[in-house]
Amino acid sequence: MIKKQTAKVLALRYKFLAFILFILAGGLVLLPKYQKNEGIKPEQLLSNVISSERYISTDQIAHKIINQDRSAILIDVRDENSFNKYTLPNAINIPLKKILDEEASVYVNQNQYDVVFFSNDNFYSDQAWVLCNRLGYKNLHVLKGGINRWFNTIINPPKPTEDMPEEAFNLYATRKASSMYFGVVYPDQVGIKTSELVKKTAPKQIITVQKKKKAPEGGC
Amino acid sequence: MKEMEKIQRISIVSTLFILVVIIGLLTYKRPKNIFTINTKPSLEKLTTDNFFMTIENSNNSNFQLIDVRSSYEFEKGHLENAINMATPDILDEENLSIFKELKNKNKTALLYGKNPEDANPAFLILYQLGYDNIKILTIETSYFQNKLIAKNREVEKSENDIQAFITESAKNSDATSEIKTVQPVKKAILLQQKKKKKAEGGC
Repeated sequence: MIKKQTAKVLALRYKFLAFILFILAGGLVLLPKYQKNEGIKPEQLLSNVISSERYISTDQIAHKIINQDRSAILIDVRDENSFNKYTLPNAINIPLKKILDEEASVYVNQNQYDVVFFSNDNFYSDQAWVLCNRLGYKNLHVLKGGINRWFNTIINPPKPTEDMPEEAFNLYATRKASSMYFGVVYPDQVGIKTSELVKKTAPKQIITVQKKKKAPEGGC
Repeated sequence: MKEMEKIQRISIVSTLFILVVIIGLLTYKRPKNIFTINTKPSLEKLTTDNFFMTIENSNNSNFQLIDVRSSYEFEKGHLENAINMATPDILDEENLSIFKELKNKNKTALLYGKNPEDANPAFLILYQLGYDNIKILTIETSYFQNKLIAKNREVEKSENDIQAFITESAKNSDATSEIKTVQPVKKAILLQQKKKKKAEGGC
């Protein structure tokens, strides 16, 4: 008798367990929805976005280029036409559309170099930054003001007026000198020894980007 | 007797198992905000959709103006009928509920700040959270005699032809001089070919 009863209970138990496991398996159907939550949390992204740490000024960039600082990769996120028309020296063109492509991720997702996005202003470059930052990419920066500010500060710096402090004059002198480096010729510059100005070609810079190795996943 | 012990053990284990699952379910907190679009689709949408709005077209009952500048700036002056929602507070519950309400009413929220760049971060975050009823008002605001003045501004407009400016400057100085414009050499970049991913997992 006892055996029979226990057998009955046993069978029920298994049914019950199987039922619960079925329900749990049903939960798996809901999972794909949560995969969309890729990258960092919205709150984290917001706090990254409102800090202006990502911005780098045109003066800093000019300084870097002139000193042949190789720690930064400049990425032009405008379209190809604008890139061909004018871009910063040594910049790479990755249009905003392609910024998340496989080929682009070699430049964008690495730890060796600083990456500086720029566009005409800092609107599209900010968008590139936000998307990449959400994915957790490191060392990303944005050129504040973009190409337009580059023109207004470095290529064509405004001349300080008499009543401005000395710093303004110093800044102007630096900017003027850098604009000369980038090819602008000033009328008062002719007559000085020209030979010095002519060849200051930046040496070829070779960047080898190594893809981050991912830790193996899975396994038992 | 052995049989009985076995059954007991199974029942204990099964109740424990179920308990653990139930506790897990009860303590699981759904994150408050979840991105509903992944980065790639949102990039695709960002580059194809038009999400700009000029101020002339904004005077419509279908739109709700939202000022993302700080409350101090907002107090100083703002557009008519605008709501203040500073960018850092954009994920607050009441602010998000405003967006939800607008979405239910089929209204479009128009974000504006000091300039379009200023409204960009808030727009991007809300956009990725799934609020697609949001546009950016492309205006630049400034103050004139303590009154806010808004004027249209084209986003990402190329203001100057720099290459032309440089060649022009060389011409103006002295055509006969030997100065040549220096074009920094393009750097060669060696890419490491991406290796095929090895198969992951498996037993």
